[in-house]
Amino acid sequence: MKPFNPRAVELAAPKQQRNWDWRAAANFICGGSGGGLLLYAAFAGFGRGSALAALLAGMTLIATGLTCVWFEIGRPWRALNVYRHIATSWMTREAVVALAVFGCGALAVLTGSVVATLCAGVCGGAFLYSQARILAANKGIPAWRHPASVPLLVATGLAEGAALALAVGALGGAAIGAGLLVAAMILVIVRAWAWQRYRTGLGSTGAPEAALRVLDGFAPRLLWLGTVLPALAVLALLLGMPGQGPVLLLVALLAAGSGAWLKYTLVRRAAYTQGLAIDHIPVRGRGPSGPAAKPGWKMMPDGNRG
Amino acid sequence: MTRYVMTIDLRRCVGCQTCTAACKGANATPPGIQWRRVLDIESGEFPDVRRSFLPVACMHCGDPPCESVCPTRATTRRADGLVAIDYELCIGCANCVMACPYDARSIVHEPRYAYGDSPMASEAKRFDPARIGVSMKCTFCKDRIDYAERTGKVPGVDPEVTPACVNSCISGAMGFGDIEDADSGVSKLLAGTQYFRMHEELGTEPGVYYVWDKS
Amino acid sequence: MEADQPKSVKRVPSYCYNCVSGPDLMKVKVVDGVATEIEPNFAAADVHPAKGRVCVKAYGLVQKTYNPNRVQTPMKRTNPKKGRNEDPGFVPISWDEALDIVAGKLSAVKAKGLIDDAGLPRVAVSLGHGGTPSNYMGTFPAFLQAWGAVDFSFGSGQGVKCVHSEHLYGEFWHRAFTVAADTPNCRYNIAVGANVDVTGGPCAVIRHADARVRGYKRVQVEPHLTATGACSAEWVPIRPKTDPAFLFALIHVLVKENGLDRLDIPFLRDRTASPYLVAPEGLYLRDVQSGKPLVWDEATACAVAYDMPGAVPAVAGSYRVARALTVDADKERVEHADVEGVTAYEMLARHIEKYSPEWAEGVCDVKAATIRRIANEYLAAASIGETIVIDGKTLPLRPVAVTLGKSVNNGWGAYECCWARTVLAALVGALENPGGLLGTTVRLNKTRDNRHLSVAPGEDGFMVQYFNPTSKEEWQFQPSTRNLHQTLVPIVGHNGAWSQALGPTQLAWMFQDERPDDWSMPMPTLPEVWLVYRSNPSISFWDTRHLAEVAAKFPFMACFAYTVDETNYMADVLLPEATDLESEQMIRMGGTKYMEQFWDHKGVVLRGKAVEPQGEARDFTWITTELAKRTGLLEAYVKAVNKGVAGVAPLKGEGYDFSLSGEPSPEQIWDAVCRAATFSISEGREQHGLAWYREHGFYTVPMSRLEWYLTPTMEQRGLRYELPYQERLLRAGRELGRRLHEKKMNWWDSQLSEYTALPEWHDVPGRWIANLEKAGAKPEDFPFWLLTTKSMQYHAGGNAAIEVMHEVAQNLRGHAGVIMNAKTAAGLNIAEGDRIEVRSHIGATCGKAALVQGVRPDTLVIIGQFDHWATPFAKTMAAPSLNSIAPMSLDLTDATGSGADIVRVAVRKIEEAKAA
Repeated sequence: MKPFNPRAVELAAPKQQRNWDWRAAANFICGGSGGGLLLYAAFAGFGRGSALAALLAGMTLIATGLTCVWFEIGRPWRALNVYRHIATSWMTREAVVALAVFGCGALAVLTGSVVATLCAGVCGGAFLYSQARILAANKGIPAWRHPASVPLLVATGLAEGAALALAVGALGGAAIGAGLLVAAMILVIVRAWAWQRYRTGLGSTGAPEAALRVLDGFAPRLLWLGTVLPALAVLALLLGMPGQGPVLLLVALLAAGSGAWLKYTLVRRAAYTQGLAIDHIPVRGRGPSGPAAKPGWKMMPDGNRG
Repeated sequence: MTRYVMTIDLRRCVGCQTCTAACKGANATPPGIQWRRVLDIESGEFPDVRRSFLPVACMHCGDPPCESVCPTRATTRRADGLVAIDYELCIGCANCVMACPYDARSIVHEPRYAYGDSPMASEAKRFDPARIGVSMKCTFCKDRIDYAERTGKVPGVDPEVTPACVNSCISGAMGFGDIEDADSGVSKLLAGTQYFRMHEELGTEPGVYYVWDKS
Repeated sequence: MEADQPKSVKRVPSYCYNCVSGPDLMKVKVVDGVATEIEPNFAAADVHPAKGRVCVKAYGLVQKTYNPNRVQTPMKRTNPKKGRNEDPGFVPISWDEALDIVAGKLSAVKAKGLIDDAGLPRVAVSLGHGGTPSNYMGTFPAFLQAWGAVDFSFGSGQGVKCVHSEHLYGEFWHRAFTVAADTPNCRYNIAVGANVDVTGGPCAVIRHADARVRGYKRVQVEPHLTATGACSAEWVPIRPKTDPAFLFALIHVLVKENGLDRLDIPFLRDRTASPYLVAPEGLYLRDVQSGKPLVWDEATACAVAYDMPGAVPAVAGSYRVARALTVDADKERVEHADVEGVTAYEMLARHIEKYSPEWAEGVCDVKAATIRRIANEYLAAASIGETIVIDGKTLPLRPVAVTLGKSVNNGWGAYECCWARTVLAALVGALENPGGLLGTTVRLNKTRDNRHLSVAPGEDGFMVQYFNPTSKEEWQFQPSTRNLHQTLVPIVGHNGAWSQALGPTQLAWMFQDERPDDWSMPMPTLPEVWLVYRSNPSISFWDTRHLAEVAAKFPFMACFAYTVDETNYMADVLLPEATDLESEQMIRMGGTKYMEQFWDHKGVVLRGKAVEPQGEARDFTWITTELAKRTGLLEAYVKAVNKGVAGVAPLKGEGYDFSLSGEPSPEQIWDAVCRAATFSISEGREQHGLAWYREHGFYTVPMSRLEWYLTPTMEQRGLRYELPYQERLLRAGRELGRRLHEKKMNWWDSQLSEYTALPEWHDVPGRWIANLEKAGAKPEDFPFWLLTTKSMQYHAGGNAAIEVMHEVAQNLRGHAGVIMNAKTAAGLNIAEGDRIEVRSHIGATCGKAALVQGVRPDTLVIIGQFDHWATPFAKTMAAPSLNSIAPMSLDLTDATGSGADIVRVAVRKIEEAKAA
């Protein structure tokens, strides 16, 4: 057995969480996109073929995410216990909503019912929201628990969903009107705004320095790849550039890809724990107590640590 | 009402890890898993340096974020303040691990032993398959508290119903008892001292009180 | 918790004595015959100062018991070649064969005679860590007594890893094998490297924790901020090995800046030699008739013998003495007429004048103002004049103490520190008074259970001392041990059980290889039989790689073995003994003992056998009895057992007789010991056998706290502490020098310089720099000091094979790494966790960088003793060790025969840290 060798100096500091790996990240990546896709597609007024494709794609994404999670949990054969705590657990609610998604989705696929499709879309949106709340409910991860993380996750899910929906629609042969394009562009821009709002909020309430470093390292990627490029591409289409199908595919790739990157960054790389802190260094016999120590956190402007 | 809490007098703690080792023994945690440990925190710059020892574990919060996120109700807050995990219900989703702002929880997916792949007699005797793949943390030595309930003994006073870490502490830094009882040792200590609770601003109402000076 | 419902659960009372701060009390929880947990023994909460608790180390004992890497059967070596690169080829053998091999070797020695042609014992025994093995080796001491001459010279740590000068000078001045603050009453403690919250065990930890809550102030003076420093009110990061300068400056502030009027004059006058008049050549002026030292009687204004009834001796000043005598080395008497006699205190005052805080600042890198403030705080806190009532007796309360730590109180500079520390106590009357500086116990004097009994009148109004003789007639030119303790170190004496073992142990190792050019004594030989128990000098000494090579040359080595380790790798036979939880033994506890075991009770405690031994491991007492039988020593061995050598009391005494005969079983032996112990401790009121102790664990009777303090005993006997002037040491050194020079030996001359009446500052750190220059290295290539510090989790490395100790130790900064200043590291492009090489002029050791602010920029620190290459588990730690790169050198050996854990080093990065 190799000796257990953590570094004592790092034990108090925020640590990158290691319990939710790529499988959990995949749930947020796929599930969020899928939920957004279902919602956007439901209200996009697609024809039967495109709507069906969107429904199947959205449900596949959600199912893929949930399957990944199933492989991650410690006791997969007890997975149904997940339904035991709807009163407060957003994970239970996510699981319930997932049932509704698949129920409505299946109905819509089988019957082509517009109402069922709209229901599936609403459930997809609810699934997206549940996922956002799952992260935000985790007080142990400062980068998640900030309230602005909810609109951010919802916004990215919607932006991803919109872009994917347009791509699915275009591939399905539907003509994508200006209204849908504008809506998608707005969602991509709203996501950028939600990011900025989130990052600013996190800066003022405080977060582990390591988490902020990760987020700041990612920010330009979201700006250029996830916002400017897709928005310009959509603008070009609006201005009459030909090749809507391939361009929308590119837009989907950029918007959904950057969203996936964002969520991977958030769920894995920026997911530093709160860490441990001492509010007052104790008095040792005589003399003054010492100041607070909060390893891994930046000193706040008011002199307190975040 | 009863609420069991722990007091840790930081003026006394010398960072010896006796509580860490006693907990490992009492709870048979596998190598690398510590339900409690004492942190070694340094602040300042040479030569104006302060070094402090900070015992940490589950804070048995009054409003435990791990409980509300738990999708299975495996984690519950008991009427006496203990935050407990039902290993039979837990699915090991780790949501509670993320929810806890005290790094208190862990999940072990494979059996681990001190020396290689086979357990020693002491490890084999105490290996509990129910704890594989589920969330684990400090229980405040729940079995002892339950035993107190049955026998009328007083946690924090009678060693057999007091958490192992508290019993083991050689500096007398740790206390345990009912904070709702004004005559308990913990209530009396807190009445005469200045203390803080960690990350109280997160609204968790932690049940561990860190004493740092006299009143 | 248990996974399955247990069928039987029992709790076996026992003790932990894994480190020198024991014994502490515990219980072993045994479930269905398997030891599962260690718990405090709260049945002892009212008698044990630590309330029945044991420290972290004890919680490793379950793993220690079931560690699969244990040697579980006797083994013999099949590869006749020995060395680090020679696989010993150990193969299992029966106990019969193993015992016959060992007994055969011993019997052969017995037939030839116990002493060889060089005058040295043919059998050597090495026991580890500070005498702790004796608490686990059952009746083995009785076997050694029955055997006769044994050489304990080959130390594993004594001398180099102990507080050596404190042991020797502490016992000399105030019967203090180790020294502690009277913490429960102390208000101001200057701890110079004393790492008591790490090394003092549960008793020290709780005492200091209580004192902190009470509001005492501890100032920690050390280059690296230890856990003890962390728990102190103030940290003073002093330059390594300059502590004497700091302490001298404190004395300066007291004596020169405050002056005698603010010191404890009655104590200095009546309990010390301060009034003794010193002649110009530095010897006491003595009464011509009686030879007694003279004092100046202020009542009659004339010089009188120190013990003249009614005299009021002057503490300060110089006086003309009409007629007097001085007695120099070899009793050379010189008569003086009209000679100036300066009081010893006055000598001190003149001597200390040059050691001002401003001077010290340049030496120790501590601001003069800080030194002055600390000295003045110390004086103020001493509250001279205050009293306290203890058990109905009014005693002075002097709640201040200066305590010293390892590497401060051993090696060069340690004499100066021990002297200064004791003088600082004497100046304010805090020596052996409540609140002040106390000795714990004696090991170089008798009896070890009551140091007060060793206080008998000796020469010149002082306590009796048992120096090794240095007179022409009696000096031991032909050493009787390989560490030359009687030849070279008068002060270590020959009276105590540990005198021999506390000789200059590194000389025993060094002189096997090479001797000084002008060596004229008989050539040291190797012992024919070497027995080793709980000792791993190939890890715990210095220059360990070389030491292992020396150990490989020993012709026959039998080791009581827990696992294979770096020392027993060279063994011929391994004997697996039943370890801590697997066998029984009774020992004394209570009274006063290091490190801070000051009890209100005294008694005995049984090490309970909680579980059956693993494999073929056998009870040490059984092994011992078998060895005695097979070497024809059974009768003498049982006689020694009857004398109480292995137990705690003679088996026959007034009103009782539990004597054994024939071939007693371990159970019979311990039953008799239990009965005799209870009978004698209770003064005949009670008698309990082994069965009772198995259930109850311990037995105590109350003890007065007055036994903590020696000064009342000194007062009762009319004796003085031999302070501040060291005339006796001066003479002993002169005599020793003459003897060596008569034999044309000058190789100990540097050490002889330590024999001074009033210690002078000499460039202590400079000795280490000179040493590397002498070895041909350039000082600028080795710009850092490397020090070591102890760990509570590891007792001298003896439990390095225990996984859980490693695990919990990692929560503390620097374990298994190299502690260095973060800024210094940044300058060398070294980051946290980088693998770095620390190189001295004799070798290199590697470990992970642990960056902290709490260490001087010029200093590196490596915790504990590691660098294992044979011990299972420990060898996988890749931990560095100072021991691998600290040289053994005559130049670095002080007059007591001790060195210190310090070496000049260079450091460089060899590998970037891997992501955590």
